[in-house]
Amino acid sequence: MSLLEIAKAIDSTSLSTSIKTISWIVPLVQCFHILMVGVVFVSILMLSLRVLGRARTDEPLAMTWSRFAPFLWGGIVVLIITGVLLVISEPVRELMALSFRLKMLLLAIGIVSAAVFGRRVRAEVAVAGSEPLVSGGMRMASVATLVLWVAIIILGRTIAYDDSVWGSWSPAVLQRGGAL
Amino acid sequence: MRTPPSFIHAIEFSAFGEWMRSNVLAMPWVNAAHVLCVTLVFGTILVVDLRLLGLLDRHRSVTRTADELLHLTWAAFAGAAISGALFFSANATTYWFNTAFRFKMLAIVLAGLNMAVFQFVTYRGVARWDRNEPPPRAAKLAAGLSILLWATVLVLGRLIGFTKGFDVAVPDNIDFDFGAP
Repeated sequence: MSLLEIAKAIDSTSLSTSIKTISWIVPLVQCFHILMVGVVFVSILMLSLRVLGRARTDEPLAMTWSRFAPFLWGGIVVLIITGVLLVISEPVRELMALSFRLKMLLLAIGIVSAAVFGRRVRAEVAVAGSEPLVSGGMRMASVATLVLWVAIIILGRTIAYDDSVWGSWSPAVLQRGGAL
Repeated sequence: MRTPPSFIHAIEFSAFGEWMRSNVLAMPWVNAAHVLCVTLVFGTILVVDLRLLGLLDRHRSVTRTADELLHLTWAAFAGAAISGALFFSANATTYWFNTAFRFKMLAIVLAGLNMAVFQFVTYRGVARWDRNEPPPRAAKLAAGLSILLWATVLVLGRLIGFTKGFDVAVPDNIDFDFGAP
């Protein structure tokens, strides 16, 4: 079963139809989605700035982590729930967009790396009972993480413009036999 | 179709407007930049507001929490204003008559006023409640209003994309490209 067939199958479910029929659901879900993007993005940003020594240097890294981790994970849960609803409402548009596929890939990397980072901070605190050492590698990783989340946000927005951004690389364009 | 003031017409047919409409990549990139900037504005302000409400970061001073983020908030706001102005130039007439857009501008003005009152009245005595002390009621009020108003700005901004042709009669076959909701 191809992704297009899966998308079409989702499109014909009664849930998808209900979401599409009730006109205010998608705008409302998108509003929650964008607000949570702000919460998650800034949580990542604050952690990165702390690692880079550009903010919150008056507190241990573990404290910055425990301050922002609930916002990060809570926000990601809301983003996934609202995101799934948006995919169900327009499955073909989402699944057949290269931006969407790349976004999901980067999102998986972002979530795993945040979990690894959190584990490491907590493990170091448990062992040493003190401030985890911010290594050069951790600094590099935090810059990479910021770039990653910026890319995730940009890709989220460019789903709507898959044709013009990706041209013949867009699966939707390929599906149409390359016609732009 | 109603006629907008002449300066709106001038903006729409300025070089910026023409560029936004003619360059197929302008809209996606300006749109992505706008989203990045507004999420930064909202998120950084939220961090400061939660401190002002006395809900989080009580171990840190209000001034430190605010100062380390202020330049970022302003830079992001400038980015949002520039990208927003480019959007506006692409379809100035449609935006001008759009109710969601008008309410969004009103919400930005109210958020700015709230910020100004806080900055020039409440924040003057910050030395007294910078640490430990629970923030005064005026600071909490300003913070609560700030979260509410900026969330409203983002929500109305998103809703503009769904109100294409709501206030101005737009023929079905013409895509004004409000940013493909």
